[in-house]
Amino acid sequence: MFIDSIKKVYEKPSYLILSALIAIAVFIFAVLLPNFSLIINLLGLESASLFQKLKVIFSLFGSIKTNFTVISASYTILIAILFGVNVSMLIYYIKSRKGTIKIKGSGTGTSLGGLISGIFGIGCAACGTFILSAILGLFGATGIISFLPLGGEEFGIIGVLILVYAIYATAKKIQAPNVCSS
Amino acid sequence: MINIINTNINKKRGSAMVGISIIVAGLIVAGAVLFTKNDSVPNSPQAGTPTQHNGGNTSTDNVREVTSDDHILGNPNAAVKIVEYSDFECPFCNRLHGILNQVISEYGEDGDVAWVFRHFPLDQLHPRNARKVAVASECVAEIAGESAFWEFSNEFFANSPANDRTDLNAVIPPILTGLGVDQSKFDECAESGRHDDKIQADIDNAVATGGRGTPWSVVIGPNGETFPLSGAQPIEAIRQIIEVAKVQ
Repeated sequence: MFIDSIKKVYEKPSYLILSALIAIAVFIFAVLLPNFSLIINLLGLESASLFQKLKVIFSLFGSIKTNFTVISASYTILIAILFGVNVSMLIYYIKSRKGTIKIKGSGTGTSLGGLISGIFGIGCAACGTFILSAILGLFGATGIISFLPLGGEEFGIIGVLILVYAIYATAKKIQAPNVCSS
Repeated sequence: MINIINTNINKKRGSAMVGISIIVAGLIVAGAVLFTKNDSVPNSPQAGTPTQHNGGNTSTDNVREVTSDDHILGNPNAAVKIVEYSDFECPFCNRLHGILNQVISEYGEDGDVAWVFRHFPLDQLHPRNARKVAVASECVAEIAGESAFWEFSNEFFANSPANDRTDLNAVIPPILTGLGVDQSKFDECAESGRHDDKIQADIDNAVATGGRGTPWSVVIGPNGETFPLSGAQPIEAIRQIIEVAKVQ
């Protein structure tokens, strides 16, 4: 059932391209997130050439090795891919039902939940550079992270699980026949 | 007819839902960017109790002038200075420490780059050890000099499991012995509290420059242009930033 849905969606190359573009966008965002200030600074520099600026930005992608643990790098890549797949499947589902679907239960909320949870897990939890630290810090609760066995990486893993569930739920809906319900 | 209208309404709702999802995702992204921006953070929730925070305005321009009181590796008069705010119990500071050692060996002791080490112990995340190790490193510098400070930091990072799991009584004494630091002098220094103000000043400056976690660095060009650098970035990125900073 799950494989059939995937095949159905990716029969059309446009969905494959869409998934890839979304996955790349999420990945770029996740890796460059800690250094947005640097990038904004660089882009505003008049004395550096565009080539130099691009070289700096591209070199920051190497931080997937240095600024992530094996676990956080893995779930960052997974979240990007799964989110791309999930959005494509959702769009396919909405289009294929030609507008007969109910808004409730379309799976969008679960997908977004997965992405939000994933974003919370981005960064170095142990060093306070990830987003969850900043949010907890607003409430003076950063110390909570030190009690988590994986130091906050749990949120990224939860993000992956929610996205897998969202894809499964969407796949099930794609396969379900069009029926009138009371 | 009614069916056609309903279908159209549902179609529009479906498209609207996708649109709303994209907007919500955009808002999350914007929120995330705001959380990582450094100029509007009133103080560091992660860092150990900053004593001042420049009225809530943080900027890399607030970086304290590099002086002979700092721990400097490389050429102290270099065109480019990398001021790193580090926590001895942070695993990514450990990584950046190795990368910056490599940068200094590439550019040389008389080259275009100076690495300035400042303390940024994250008391909330590493309450047991972070500040104690910062004090220990200052005591080593006081007793055995600057090169001993750098050797201590290299040795500590090499032998620490990080994240507040280091058994300081097992890790620090052998390093002190290796550096020829007298244990009784070290104990007296560690208990005196005379380096507390310096460490606190480093923390305050880290926060004032926008640091919210470690490793946090500010790269300073010859004309004072500053570049924020968050996290343990790869050596290639640091080389590229140095090259850009050099011509500022």
